[in-house]
Amino acid sequence: MRRTRKQIFYFLLPAFSLVTVFVIYPIVYSVILSFLDKSTGAFTLDNYIRILTDTNPLKALVVRNWGPTPPWGALIHNVIWVAIHVPVTVFGSLLIAYLLKYHVKGGNLIKTIMYVGMVIPPAVGGLIAMFMFYERIGVFPIIFGWLGVESLSKTWVLYRETALWALILGSIWVWMGFGIVVVSAGLEAIPRSHIEAAKVFGASSWKTFWKVVVPQLKPVITVVMVMTALWDMKIFDFVWASSKGGPLGASNVMAIIMYDYFIRDLNYNAASAVAVLLTLFISPIIYIAIKRMRE
Amino acid sequence: MAATAKSRKYLYIVATVVIVAIIGVALYYFLAPPPPTPTPTQPTAPPAQKVKIRVQIGWSGKELEAFDLAVKEYLKTHPNIEIEYVIMRAEDLAAVLPAQLEARTYPAEIMVTPWSWFIVEQAKKGHLEDLSNLLPWGDFVPGYTDLVTYNGKIYGVPFGLYFKPLWWYRKSVFQQYGLSEPKTWDEFVALLDKLKAIPQFKKPVVIGDTLGWPASDVVEGFIIALGSPDMHSALTKGTLKFNDPSVQAIFRDKLVPLIKAGYFSEPVEWTSAHELWWNGEYAIYPLGSFLASMAKDPNDLGAFVIPGSTGLIGNVDFFFVSKYVPDDLKPVVYDFLKWLATEGQVVMASIPSGRVPTWKKADVNKIYAPFRDLYQKAVTGYKFVPDMDDTVGGDWQRLFWEYCKVLFTSPDRWSEMLTELTRQHPATKG
Repeated sequence: MRRTRKQIFYFLLPAFSLVTVFVIYPIVYSVILSFLDKSTGAFTLDNYIRILTDTNPLKALVVRNWGPTPPWGALIHNVIWVAIHVPVTVFGSLLIAYLLKYHVKGGNLIKTIMYVGMVIPPAVGGLIAMFMFYERIGVFPIIFGWLGVESLSKTWVLYRETALWALILGSIWVWMGFGIVVVSAGLEAIPRSHIEAAKVFGASSWKTFWKVVVPQLKPVITVVMVMTALWDMKIFDFVWASSKGGPLGASNVMAIIMYDYFIRDLNYNAASAVAVLLTLFISPIIYIAIKRMRE
Repeated sequence: MAATAKSRKYLYIVATVVIVAIIGVALYYFLAPPPPTPTPTQPTAPPAQKVKIRVQIGWSGKELEAFDLAVKEYLKTHPNIEIEYVIMRAEDLAAVLPAQLEARTYPAEIMVTPWSWFIVEQAKKGHLEDLSNLLPWGDFVPGYTDLVTYNGKIYGVPFGLYFKPLWWYRKSVFQQYGLSEPKTWDEFVALLDKLKAIPQFKKPVVIGDTLGWPASDVVEGFIIALGSPDMHSALTKGTLKFNDPSVQAIFRDKLVPLIKAGYFSEPVEWTSAHELWWNGEYAIYPLGSFLASMAKDPNDLGAFVIPGSTGLIGNVDFFFVSKYVPDDLKPVVYDFLKWLATEGQVVMASIPSGRVPTWKKADVNKIYAPFRDLYQKAVTGYKFVPDMDDTVGGDWQRLFWEYCKVLFTSPDRWSEMLTELTRQHPATKG
């Protein structure tokens, strides 16, 4: 029986109503809030001006006087996070998944172990990351201690110079499992004959990987890139559990600033302005994702 | 085609209705009149039937044990009341309570925080009960109710005075190495030097870490000792700037050289720091008097203040009550609060809880012996100043905590710290 458009519309109505109430309404309301004055309710751009010009290092989105080490502002930290995390995750997961599939016996077991980072809650991941860089007990300070690098054998999250890098490295560990699993799934779809043909024609392992495997994994790579970038832009619990954005805002991110305005200051207008900015920064990534999915 | 056009028409109508509804609801919230301001409620006699009161507290270990002792004492004479503890630290309460109060709810009928600024902030919004007539406040150690007074009304009950920072050491360790408490600044530095030379200790002094208050207490202690309690108070009020030459001199000439000399650890999670100190990895742990409640052997505890100190930080917790507690429960809550603030404090101070009563009519003989002297000082007007960051509060509190933590890892940035603390102080920002 062929359904009319009217019937389809009625079937969609319940879902559409729920989406309207719980998704569209909060979004529209947040945008409206971000343009209203907290006290008078009048239309204003002050919320945006305030959040973009706040000089308090714990609330700055962009720090005015840049130094050689963080804090540079939560927005900049998010961008740096994406700039480092995305390529490392993409190349790392490609390489590891490829090696585990074609060159390592028991690769599935290793993949399972590496996926642990994804299974644990992000807050716990943040705590583990913090301890990975904790003096005397963390693997990195211990290694650097052995190597005689005093400046890196301390608790990384306590120092402005190292806190952000510790968290980014920790997040790579947490997220890498996701990349490896997605890329591994993509690798399964590549016929083994393609790899064998490349070998027959004398291609080295590297050339086979680069010229045969990677081109066929482009859709998968896009998924990993987009998901990683989205995770980085909205990251909160991971940072909150490990450093709370400190010391002195050196590892602050936009979601923490939003939380601060919302929960600590009860300034819903400023919090909404941060949320709108965050959405604007995420939008191009979402656009690319949707475009690729359609392709 | 006609059917398609018709269904599109329906879609447009529904979409228009939804958008208008969204804008309507949004506008309603902004045009709706503000909630009515609270009216003070006076305590009356408690009812006879069985009732439950929830009390939010942030204590653990011996402090909780001491509080529990007080509660049990009360329940002996009030068997019709059941007390349930809601365990939340001050920082957790501060994170959720403002939103809960906006929604006219609360986690417990009686709540506690050391942050006077937080209570005043909620009182300004009309969320708290006026407690001005609850007790004769003249019977309490002066100064503390002022911190929770807004528009002439008192919104908090000062409870359990504790002191900080005391420089705690183990008597057995000091005896083992033939060390004694310093009486002068030079002796203090000499002691740190001796401790540094003892291989057992990783560093002479361990700095606690959590949100940042253990480090800030140490810094405040140096300001009191090397400046004065009045300098501390003026910095709190903002009448003296952090970048004033007199304050700069304390940091530049005294505190920063000590940190650079390697006498202090980097901030270590404060309960872990306690373990490490007790196990002999560090010799001294500067912390509040509440450390007495954590010690495995209170008889092995010794403490001194930085030589030259003419005052101490004397801090209290404040009990407060939400305006949204049901009226029929309020008399019970008030009765319990009155008892806690008077006899309850004495019970709590009778064991090594690290606290003394803020109630001046307490029987001194019932107080844990090592703290009787501090109690006498408190009631006879010794210079106790309230904690700086707990009083100023807000964003500045967190900034101060963060800078104090950073000071112990990057002491070279002390000048930036003082400039920024001046710039961001509410008195400067207006």
